[in-house]
Amino acid sequence: MVDIVFSIGITALAGALATVAGAAEDVESDIGSQGDPNSQVQLAPQMGYIHRIYNKAIAGEPPAWGLWIALGAGIAWAFMVMQLNPILAIVLGAGLATFVQGVYSTTAYLGRTASLSKFGQPVYIDIIKSMTTVTMAHAFVAIFATVTICYLMNAALGHPFPLPLLGLVWGIALGAAGSATGNPYYGKERQYQTQNFGAGVPISASGNIVRYAEAGERNSLDNGFFTAKLGGPASGVCFGLIVFLELWRTVLFENVGAGWGAIIVGVIIILIFTVMDRFIEVWARKNYGPYTKPTEETSS
Amino acid sequence: MSALGGPKPAGGSTGIAPVPALVSLVIFVIIFAVMYMFGGSLGMTALIGIVIGGLLIGFGVHFVPVGGAPAAMGQAPGIATGVAMLAAGGGLAGLFGGAWAASQGTVVAVVTGAIGGGLMLAITCFFVNFIYIYGMGIPAASGKVKKDPITGDSQAEYKSQGTEGHGLPFVSFVGGVIGGILGGAGGTLIYLMLLNVYQTSLPGVMKATAAQVAPIAVSLAGMFAIGMFLVIAVLAAYNITGTIEGPHDPKFKRFPRALVASAVASALCGVAAILLVMV
Repeated sequence: MVDIVFSIGITALAGALATVAGAAEDVESDIGSQGDPNSQVQLAPQMGYIHRIYNKAIAGEPPAWGLWIALGAGIAWAFMVMQLNPILAIVLGAGLATFVQGVYSTTAYLGRTASLSKFGQPVYIDIIKSMTTVTMAHAFVAIFATVTICYLMNAALGHPFPLPLLGLVWGIALGAAGSATGNPYYGKERQYQTQNFGAGVPISASGNIVRYAEAGERNSLDNGFFTAKLGGPASGVCFGLIVFLELWRTVLFENVGAGWGAIIVGVIIILIFTVMDRFIEVWARKNYGPYTKPTEETSS
Repeated sequence: MSALGGPKPAGGSTGIAPVPALVSLVIFVIIFAVMYMFGGSLGMTALIGIVIGGLLIGFGVHFVPVGGAPAAMGQAPGIATGVAMLAAGGGLAGLFGGAWAASQGTVVAVVTGAIGGGLMLAITCFFVNFIYIYGMGIPAASGKVKKDPITGDSQAEYKSQGTEGHGLPFVSFVGGVIGGILGGAGGTLIYLMLLNVYQTSLPGVMKATAAQVAPIAVSLAGMFAIGMFLVIAVLAAYNITGTIEGPHDPKFKRFPRALVASAVASALCGVAAILLVMV
């Protein structure tokens, strides 16, 4: 009984940390245009729209976060082998991985922006100075929280994978969940704020991103401020639920029915999310209505 | 003519070209012959399991609805990230669960991995629609079919002007869950096969007890399973070329080609991973 209570406590803590990690990951990605919307930031100068948006994307979010979290977890693990306190080891691991993220961000911004010189896009040194450190701060929060989750899974819950391997697995999952949830909100809702609300961006408008703020030119800190209100928290809840429910069903039900208990609970959770998804899909169709009258023509 | 200027492959864009298929078959036979010579029955069983795991992953990737960059602007349906990366996110989350359940037997572990992958993608797909509907006020609509094959909902009139559709129609959601299930099962199966080989062979190779080599066996099997997952997911992503809406997308019919490539790639990676401790 004590073991189960302890494991549920660890599960809850891991879920809470994952929520923080997911939110920090998405805001970091939005400030740095790391996800798919980077294509528009890169395209804008080619269409004649010079801007001051930070663009540090070189890899997609999942592999980038897989690298940083695995790096943080690997360094933390090395320090722990040297008998360093686990909390201090995780802080040091996350700190060193954050510096790698900073180097990566700087070279990515310089490389990507310099490649646009023929279209007249300047490299802004003040952008590097002010944005890079902000993304590093968010990255530190996400890396520290995720490496701590991996440590809890390994040391407290007894998962067989070593810490760096868990870091790679959950780093990729973090990037996948954060980019899936947060990218549309940054890409459509923020970069194309001047387009109609409640509709996708027409392909003909590609590249015409919003470049001016309430005062002066818009920069990526404005984008972080905006996406931290919904895209970031939604990404956090998404990753938090993934970690929490995966651990919860295993911790509580893995010994029920020789392992089949956790499987049945997993199936039930999948069905619940399927019903919820169908509900909001139908809700949107009823409340937002069709854009045009139904036709008999095929759409493809 | 293809984009590279060469002739169009025989069998159309969804078919299997005979010459590459024959070359694949020859490589496949050679790999199994090598394994029969050096790996014995343990190696052969593991290699068969790895190939089945590879086929599950390669097939599963085609179910995952991925919209890439256009989806991030609400210009195309699907999840706004890369094919291989999203499949890896779901599949590796499944592998995490499957590895945890390894001591409960192969069947329970593989099914646990499958459900773990399905769970990750069910939550992710739900949040994609959540952010589209409640964050951006955009309903889900497919650009590839007139009606959702599962619900029968009409799609064309819910596409906003100038786009190919947006969000995840129900069939895409179901496709995502199926993709996660297949990926999680395949990744876990590869892990279990390798774990069995390493746990059996490493004590002799390293002249140590089974308990002493257990952490190395788990780490090696985990690393190779993740590596093979990424190899096969990227191969399948090349087959898809960019974006796919799910099982109703015409690109889904290309999956036989990916199965051939996945079988050969997983056999090649598998033989290297197994013979590492057997030769």
